[in-house]
Amino acid sequence: MRTIFRLIGGSLSLSVVLASGPAAAGPLDAPGAAKALACSACHGLGGQSPSNTMPVIAGIAPWYFKKAIEDYAAGRRPSPEMEPYAKYVLEAGVDDLASYFASQPRQPTAVRVDAGAVERGRVASQQCVVCHVESGKGDPAKGIPDLRGQPPGYLANQMLLFKADRRSPGDATLKALKELMKSIPDDQIADLAAYYSSLR
Amino acid sequence: MTRLTRREFLRTSASGAGLALLAAGCGPAIKGDFAPKAGRRVVVIGGGWGGATAAKYLRLADASIEVVLLEPNRQFVSCPFSNLVLSGVRSIDGLTFGYGGLRSHGVRVYHDAASAIEPDVRRVRVGEGYLEYDRLIVSPGVEFQWEQVDGLAAAQDRVLHAWKAGPQTVELARQLAAMPDGGVFVLTVPPVAYRCPPGPYERACQVAWSLKTKKPRSKLVVLDANANVVSKAALFRAAWKDYPNLEYRASNKVVKVDPSTREVTTEFGDRVKYDVINLIPPQRAGTIAVQADLVGADKRWCEVNHLTYESVKHKNVHVIGDSTIGLPVPKSGNIANAMGKICAVAVVHLLNGKEPPAMAPGNTCYSWVNDHEAIAVVNAYRIEGGKVVQIEQKLTPGQSAQWAQNAVGWATSIWQDMLA
Repeated sequence: MRTIFRLIGGSLSLSVVLASGPAAAGPLDAPGAAKALACSACHGLGGQSPSNTMPVIAGIAPWYFKKAIEDYAAGRRPSPEMEPYAKYVLEAGVDDLASYFASQPRQPTAVRVDAGAVERGRVASQQCVVCHVESGKGDPAKGIPDLRGQPPGYLANQMLLFKADRRSPGDATLKALKELMKSIPDDQIADLAAYYSSLR
Repeated sequence: MTRLTRREFLRTSASGAGLALLAAGCGPAIKGDFAPKAGRRVVVIGGGWGGATAAKYLRLADASIEVVLLEPNRQFVSCPFSNLVLSGVRSIDGLTFGYGGLRSHGVRVYHDAASAIEPDVRRVRVGEGYLEYDRLIVSPGVEFQWEQVDGLAAAQDRVLHAWKAGPQTVELARQLAAMPDGGVFVLTVPPVAYRCPPGPYERACQVAWSLKTKKPRSKLVVLDANANVVSKAALFRAAWKDYPNLEYRASNKVVKVDPSTREVTTEFGDRVKYDVINLIPPQRAGTIAVQADLVGADKRWCEVNHLTYESVKHKNVHVIGDSTIGLPVPKSGNIANAMGKICAVAVVHLLNGKEPPAMAPGNTCYSWVNDHEAIAVVNAYRIEGGKVVQIEQKLTPGQSAQWAQNAVGWATSIWQDMLA
């Protein structure tokens, strides 16, 4: 009896397979998805980074993705990790990868932040809104990136790099930003990171 | 293999129909195809960095393909970060993960070892039965060449390698913790090629850091079979300036171990006494790859096509991870992860009658030099003329807590990329 059931079960599953036809488009069928697999070890599948240090690049604005890749590859944004990978991206096709990541649905980071730090960061953020605007989504026309929902560790690291003039050293357009960062104590940088990470 | 395991497998199988029918018609050695194929199937041997990634990405690339993963261990333990268990900086539990994530992608995970490959009939032998495949991905990692060190084979229970993270890692950490202050810890580095080129030197840092902070009168002696530090040499040598308790001896290949006298002997006849020994043996591809004639003339490593990872020796059999050679890439977890994805995409294209895309791997490799600082090497590659070619290698300018934070981020991400 059990054999008969198994035989029926087997036949059913076989006919399901035969009748199902071509598989529906999967997560790797999007244009650029195969090239982007080199990125997913650190940035997560589709750019949805699960870690505190790697930025979420799912849904990233193409102009910002391209600027970051070009700056990394040229050494203007020094990073021993990203410089080789940026060169890979330029060879693989930066436009393809920019389009791919821009098309991926973006989830805010899953890294939790302390509510007290978020509130302190909200108060401190008044010095940032001139450029990053009240919502934190930035202004593409002025080259100001969206900070919302990024991992707090990543945001804090970038602010500390600006403060130490180790991100884009010598870039005249960032002079005012770096002067501002130098005036912000490190613990307030952590609060600002928590606040912008919490924005949706 | 237990009856329960097989029943469990049958219950979750797309088609359990064949067992009773086919078993009756087979000879005594093979009891049967315990999970007859209903559609297209890929079998993956080994659920480590390469195999687990390949299994997941096969399902992501084409969910109509059945994927069976054969992995004897019920839990995955990460080799990267396991040197931190020796120094007590991390626990083994934090590096241990289940295979539930792969099951949620529809991978049929079967906790038993593949015992043989029959490429001519596209079958994998498992215990007394077999599984059929359309394509096979072999990711067996490394096996130790015990016979290369006199006395080692008989002393495997006392002379630890801790080079496959798990019980030996925990036991070696215990031995280090129990060593009296003033003792000598001897670490031996095998000749290239071996799993994780910087791994022994990161381990040297962790042991030296542990001794410096907890047993200041103790000493670490590193006996390296190679003529120099194999990876990140300048960065490791700079880090070792903090460890006057570390004595590094290049070109000191260990050829004999005697646990009764607690002594190792180098090929030049020098004898070194130890209180605790960590002997990392010479290595070759996992046993099943050797038995299936997937290794090349050196009898150690498997040559593969650089675009598809198909074996140059057997059709429809792909090899990924530390068992491969002939590519300009290190035997690292990150490379195995990259190979798993590329091979999965290639296999799905081939099964669908399409030409596989040219995809290059990448390598990000951190090493911890104390309890809070790390160094890194990063490699990017391109495909050129059908071969993997390096675009660039970049090293961190020094050691820092920032690279250590990035290492934690890398591990968090890549463990999920493999298993979640």
